[in-house]
Amino acid sequence: MRDWRSYVRERLAEAGEGGGMDEGVVRGLAEHLEDLYTGLRASGMTQQEALRRTPSHVGNWLELQQGITAARQEGAMNERVAKFWIPSLVTLVAAWGVLTILICAGVQPWMTHPAEPRGLIMYVPWLVVLPPVGAAGAYLVRRANASGWRVYAAGAFPAVATALLFVLILPWALVVDRHVAPDFQLLGFATGIVSWVLLPGVALVIGAALEGLRGSHQKERLPRV
Amino acid sequence: MIRTELKRGTAALAILSVLEQGPLHGYEIGRRIEERTNGALRYTLAALYPLLYRMEHHGWLKAEWETGENGKRRRCYRLTAKGKKMLAPMRAEWADLFRALRQVAKVTHA
Repeated sequence: MRDWRSYVRERLAEAGEGGGMDEGVVRGLAEHLEDLYTGLRASGMTQQEALRRTPSHVGNWLELQQGITAARQEGAMNERVAKFWIPSLVTLVAAWGVLTILICAGVQPWMTHPAEPRGLIMYVPWLVVLPPVGAAGAYLVRRANASGWRVYAAGAFPAVATALLFVLILPWALVVDRHVAPDFQLLGFATGIVSWVLLPGVALVIGAALEGLRGSHQKERLPRV
Repeated sequence: MIRTELKRGTAALAILSVLEQGPLHGYEIGRRIEERTNGALRYTLAALYPLLYRMEHHGWLKAEWETGENGKRRRCYRLTAKGKKMLAPMRAEWADLFRALRQVAKVTHA
């Protein structure tokens, strides 16, 4: 009997200009063809005739290859959105939203050196709110059936976004805005990173980690089916 | 004989409907549809599998490898709760389409 797996692999590679297809896909299609062949043989068809007729059920190999690739890419994209980007954006909006509300409400930050640009700045109420925000992001990731790094990355996303702002915008501002450069101190930049990236990041990660722990405890308690 | 372009739109409803009865593997999905429609709806693998993968990613189906009685491993598709929810509106949509066609083109049941 024909090795249907090799046959499918070869035809898909030919159709997709040599592009490799996932082995699970190849196996599923090969089983389908094998079942078709067995059915045709059981209906009384000769081996040669059944071998000739079975591939006609595939239709167009290129269409099959492209269709599966497109469906899987679309699926992977949807998965990334649901398992990472939506939770990350929720934590980002929540974290920055709370900070904006606090600033608008006139809450004053705690500063180590109020008169100098190099001091640490801490919105303590904001830092207190951040662990639940990180936990919410982690919960959304877990609810989308994802785990591992995504739990922490989505939970700490506001800190990552702020770090990116520091890395991208500050050097640009130094070049473009002449008012920044004379007052700029490396220590000020470092304390800025600590105030707006590291401390909030730690608070967010604590929340994400606690949610992750809660999730793994829940999983352990579930009866095995 | 129903043309391929016409059949294509029907595949999602046909797949969900046969899976409503219970989980099936790919070949069996195609065979059941063909059997129930007396051969009127027969999908090629090129039409069936991309749609199965798409429906799986939308969460309408869940696919798992299962070992059959003969020891063969097969990718088995089962309807999810989300897929079940899709059936009623999809059926209603097709019913609307047939009603409209009956009115405009005097299409009747065979």
